[in-house]
Amino acid sequence: MNDRQTVFVVDDDQAARESLRWLLESVGYHVDCFTSALEFLESYDGSVPGCLVLDVRMPGMSGLELQNHLLERGWCLPAIIVTGHGDVPMAVRAMKAGAVDFLQKPYNDQTLLDRIQQALDLCSQRRQSHSELALIRANYEHLTQREREVSALVVAGKANKVIAIELGLSPKTIEVHRANVMYKMQAHSLSELVQMWMRLHVETRLPSQVA
Amino acid sequence: MQYFAHPPTWALLIAILALMGGLVLYVMRLNLSLRYSKRVLEVEIGERRRAEEKLAENENRLRQIIASEPECVKLQTLDGILLEMNPAGLCLVEAGQPNEIIGTSVYNIIAPEFRDGYRALSTRVFAGESGVMEFQIISLKGRRRWMETHAVPLRDGRNKVIALLGITRDITAHKHAEEEIRLHYRELAHASRVNTMGEMASSLAHELNQPLAAIANYSHGCLRRIRSGAGTVDDLTRAIEQVCNQADRAADIIRSLRRFVNKEDSPHQPQDLQGIVREAMLIAGPEANMHQVDIRLKLMPDMPKVLGHAIQVEQVILNLIRNAVEAMSNMPPMLRRLELRTFLEDDMAVVEVRDSGLGLPRETLARIFDPFFTTKSTGMGMGLPICRSIVEAHGGTLSAYPNEEGCGLTVRFTLHPAMEEARHE
Repeated sequence: MNDRQTVFVVDDDQAARESLRWLLESVGYHVDCFTSALEFLESYDGSVPGCLVLDVRMPGMSGLELQNHLLERGWCLPAIIVTGHGDVPMAVRAMKAGAVDFLQKPYNDQTLLDRIQQALDLCSQRRQSHSELALIRANYEHLTQREREVSALVVAGKANKVIAIELGLSPKTIEVHRANVMYKMQAHSLSELVQMWMRLHVETRLPSQVA
Repeated sequence: MQYFAHPPTWALLIAILALMGGLVLYVMRLNLSLRYSKRVLEVEIGERRRAEEKLAENENRLRQIIASEPECVKLQTLDGILLEMNPAGLCLVEAGQPNEIIGTSVYNIIAPEFRDGYRALSTRVFAGESGVMEFQIISLKGRRRWMETHAVPLRDGRNKVIALLGITRDITAHKHAEEEIRLHYRELAHASRVNTMGEMASSLAHELNQPLAAIANYSHGCLRRIRSGAGTVDDLTRAIEQVCNQADRAADIIRSLRRFVNKEDSPHQPQDLQGIVREAMLIAGPEANMHQVDIRLKLMPDMPKVLGHAIQVEQVILNLIRNAVEAMSNMPPMLRRLELRTFLEDDMAVVEVRDSGLGLPRETLARIFDPFFTTKSTGMGMGLPICRSIVEAHGGTLSAYPNEEGCGLTVRFTLHPAMEEARHE
């Protein structure tokens, strides 16, 4: 419903929060501020696209822990970690937890704005690919058992005749199944079908990569 | 024969004889009584002589005692004229002969700044009280010495105060030693504060970063709005106000840091405990924040002022907060709670820091105030001993005990509230 991208700022320091809002609004971003990770988790339902700007250390739940919570819920809002006292191990942990960036205060405002834009782009990419994947999955669900078998062999690069022999069916029947697969999967070419197949089998196994 | 027979002659003879007999008797009595008187007088004279000898002996003994007394013993009148002074006293004021000082005024040797105080003491002694006073003298050779006098009234037989009896000793060495201890102690406390600052550098840098980052954000936001023509004057004004606020915030942090590492002691005077806690929080807050500790302040409203050195009290509070924060570093962040309370108990102001860490075993708890005892891998073990000496120098106590409920430790110290009149100043 709300497709407007939002920058979620989570920082326990009021001045840091409000000044960031002032800066981000000056370039036209929609900004939503939270005083703690918990407050953000309570109000966010995963529907609004955007990105997170987090302070690593906050009383209660830290920025890194918040990222883990987001992962558990399957939301991968790109997060930019901002810190006043970062060190290498912390940066590594942040990146492992899925942060897209790690900025140390004091930062250059243009750098921050650029990173936020990249994060927002990443978010829309991820959302797009997520909806494509959802479509592929839904289409795949519509295939019959036999069509799935046929599509697997088609993707494996086998000719209709070979498939017919393997499945003990006539090449004509295989041709019909194959046409059905192409139609149901909305694939316009064999290579497109292969791509879909790959995404279905690779990305489904890595749900953390989608938002 | 006829001669003897003449009767008038006989009568005259008998009369003369009788008269002579009476005379002899009288003289004999007189003699007896005189002899008795003589004996009585002799006894009396003997007794008196003995008494006089004893008196002289006593006086001599007293004189010897006073003369050999190592402390100065002196008698003086109400207006300060010295009546007597023993050799130790003469030595103390560096007088070669008694007549250099006897008969002159004590105010000639008392250092000017103490004269009024000494005059008040004299007046009290002549009113029948006794008193003690520390003051400085300037000896006849011009040297300043610290003295302590115990002054009592000297009374005559009718109980009238006739002089001030003063026993005075030289406490210069003692004063110097005291001063030296105070200096060492001040150096140690200062070194410990500098050390604390060093240990806290990273969290303090972060704390300064906050206002600086906010200032940068506000001003860049303003610039962008001005360049794009989007900002209204009201909006921009509000943002610039925030810039000023944040600059003040940074300045406050720097000011309190500079104050904290300053070597000079703040004067010993009535202090606002709330203010000291706030100052300590300004420095300790960032570190607590970095360790994700939730600090709760429960400060007693209308707490009377306490007597002490502000920076040293702040140092103790800061130290207790840091210990508590460190004690909780192994706890999950959600359970890291620190409570700082101030209240009055038994006429003393109490500052209490309670953590929600794992606490300490009894045998460790008994030793935490020992110098060089530490439970930390990086600690020197001097934090709490220094805190304890600071608190004790303020006449209070520093103690630690396990929390009544749950785990964790409570450390508290007491301070004297400032007197009533001081509070109205």
